[in-house]
Formats: sequence, structure tokens, C-alpha cells
Amino acid sequence: MKNSVTLKIQSHPRYLSMIRDVTVRFCIICGLDEETIGKIKLAVDEACSNVIKHAYHGDTSKEIVVKYGFRQKKISIIIEDSGEKADLEKIRGRDLDDVRPGGLGMHFIRRVFDLVEFDAKKVKGNRLLLIRRAGGKDEL
Amino acid sequence: MNCEIGDYKGNMVVSLSGEVDMHSSPVLREKLLGVIKNKPPRLIVNFKDVSYIDSSGIATFVESLKHVKAYKGRMQFSELPQSIMDIFSFSKLDKVFEICGDLDEAVSR
Repeated sequence: MKNSVTLKIQSHPRYLSMIRDVTVRFCIICGLDEETIGKIKLAVDEACSNVIKHAYHGDTSKEIVVKYGFRQKKISIIIEDSGEKADLEKIRGRDLDDVRPGGLGMHFIRRVFDLVEFDAKKVKGNRLLLIRRAGGKDEL
Repeated sequence: MNCEIGDYKGNMVVSLSGEVDMHSSPVLREKLLGVIKNKPPRLIVNFKDVSYIDSSGIATFVESLKHVKAYKGRMQFSELPQSIMDIFSFSKLDKVFEICGDLDEAVSR
């Protein structure tokens, strides 16, 4: 339980702002800089939006669990749901030069986390593991 | 998010404030498409008080731009905070949208 926080919310878009707030507070406690915090906030928001859209198909009565951890200068965020298995092709993201609505969420997630991985061992639903090392990737 | 529709020197201006996310972007979409239905020759979106935007908000603007272009209108953005500008730049949309410093610059173009 050391340096960890768990947030459990209903899969309704109205609660995404709470996830953003907790994400920012956790990152501040971890000592991250403002620019990185902004990117992590957006990435976690996008990952949870993906859960609502793709795993739960807009069902707002389900549950999303977000687990934050900070150890050895490494921040890890795990997002769990009990919905449909992620179709990586569907959430892969569009080519950034192909201007059309949608397809940006995964780009925002990958630009700030060093590891973005779905846990293949999770039987029902999805477990998305996001890890960023201290001084990790920075593409902006 | 708050969305106000007004006029600046005879041009249609949509002024946004707050956070544009998956929860608020359907409201924004409805307002923008409602405005676009009247085919204003120039539609300015003012971002001065926008503190956050996610991919659903961006998708709303991309969709709106397509509608505006379809009738050969112009869609301009003004007063983007740096954090919002960074997101448009990363998404390579800073070249797609007409981005202006402020409302006066937008109307003078």
C-alpha cells in the first residue's frame, strides 16, 4: 500500500473530471513537473474515456478502477474494467496526418508513458498498465 | 464547460470556458452545429478561458470544420492558452485550423 491510491468510479463521463483531479493531485505528491502532469492527466482521461466508449459501449452504470503507484521514481497507473476486451485495432489511433474526427486518444497516452500494455492474464475485462519513469519520454 | 454565442464586429463568436471533455463535448457539438446550420461566413471560437480539452473536444472541432468548409466558410480559433495550443500542435491540427492571437487579428484576416 506504500505510495498508492485507488479510485473506483462509475463509468459515467461526468466523473472523468474527478479522475483528472485525483491524477493531478497524485502527480503533484510524486513531485512531477507541471508539463508532465498535464500530459499524464490527459492520458489517464483518454484511457478512461476509452473504457466507457469501447469496453462498456457507453453503459454508464459500470465500474472503473484506477490504481496509482509511485516507487523508485516510477509512476504506475493501472486502469481496470469488466467490459469487453479491448480491440487494439479499434483504439490504435489514426495517422496524425489523416485529419478526421477521433483516433487521437492513444497518441496522447503513448506520448507520455514509457509502457502502455494490456494485461493478457486478466480473464474478464481489461487491465491497462501505464508506466512512466522519472524523466521519461517527452515528445513535445 | 460554458459556451456563449455572441458577435464581434459583425462576426459570429463562440466563447468557451472551462473543461471540454467527453462529458461536455456533446453539448459543444450541438451548439456548434446549431450555429453552423446558419452558415456564418466566419465563425470564431474563442478559447480564452478554456482550461482543458481532450480528444472528444478536438473531434468536435474537426467535425465542425468539415461542415464549415463544405459551404466555403471560415472557422478561426482565437486566444488559445499555451496548454491547449500544445495539444493542437501535437495532433498536427495547428496547421489545419486557422489560429489567431486574438479576436481583432481574426477579423482582420
